[in-house]
Amino acid sequence: MKKNTFYLIIGCIAIALVGLFWYSDVIHTPLLIELSFIVAVAGIYLIRRQVSDLKEDERDVKITEQAVLRTMQVFWVVFCAFSIGAVMQLLRAPTFPRGFPTEHPPILPELLSPRLIGFVQLGLLCLMIFLYVGFRIYYAGKYGDWETDEE
Amino acid sequence: MRNKIKVFRAMHDLTQEHLAQVIGVNRQTILAIEKGKYVPSLDLAFRIARYFGVSIEEVFTYEDEENASQIK
Repeated sequence: MKKNTFYLIIGCIAIALVGLFWYSDVIHTPLLIELSFIVAVAGIYLIRRQVSDLKEDERDVKITEQAVLRTMQVFWVVFCAFSIGAVMQLLRAPTFPRGFPTEHPPILPELLSPRLIGFVQLGLLCLMIFLYVGFRIYYAGKYGDWETDEE
Repeated sequence: MRNKIKVFRAMHDLTQEHLAQVIGVNRQTILAIEKGKYVPSLDLAFRIARYFGVSIEEVFTYEDEENASQIK
């Protein structure tokens, strides 16, 4: 299989996933999109092995490693900070009372609805992809991907 | 790390593409090594030296960053 065919298949899978996302919402079954996503990613990994002109050498591996490392270094802090806050919100953790503990601890006003939490987390995940692409471009440049020669 | 891959290529009348194919890497990797943008692994360095039939020291010369900056 050629590289371009592989990219075309990825595009088709992405469109299918968007459709399944929408359908999952219509039938109120999140499990459908969750399983579909896992199957799609596994499928992409399997198809990738069939690509003949996608040669990956040690420099490519190094670029990928560095990009993933930097992405994770930035992303996990932001994602964890937001997720911890969101979980606190979902648990409706009370603030520490200023005086003696009362029988009914004060309930925080809902700053983040579960719906908003889901959207923000999905947004952060999408942002991670852009972050990864950015780091990948940076490290590709650093390790000589854009170098030209007289040959 | 400095290297003489370009010199050895010229001596053997090899293109980057051909060397890359023989060594089993992409052409861009050979170019990046030649330009000093990428330091190859020990395994790759040995494969390159072995292909030219010379020792690794003849192709690659270690140069720490202080010396490199002094030379520049």
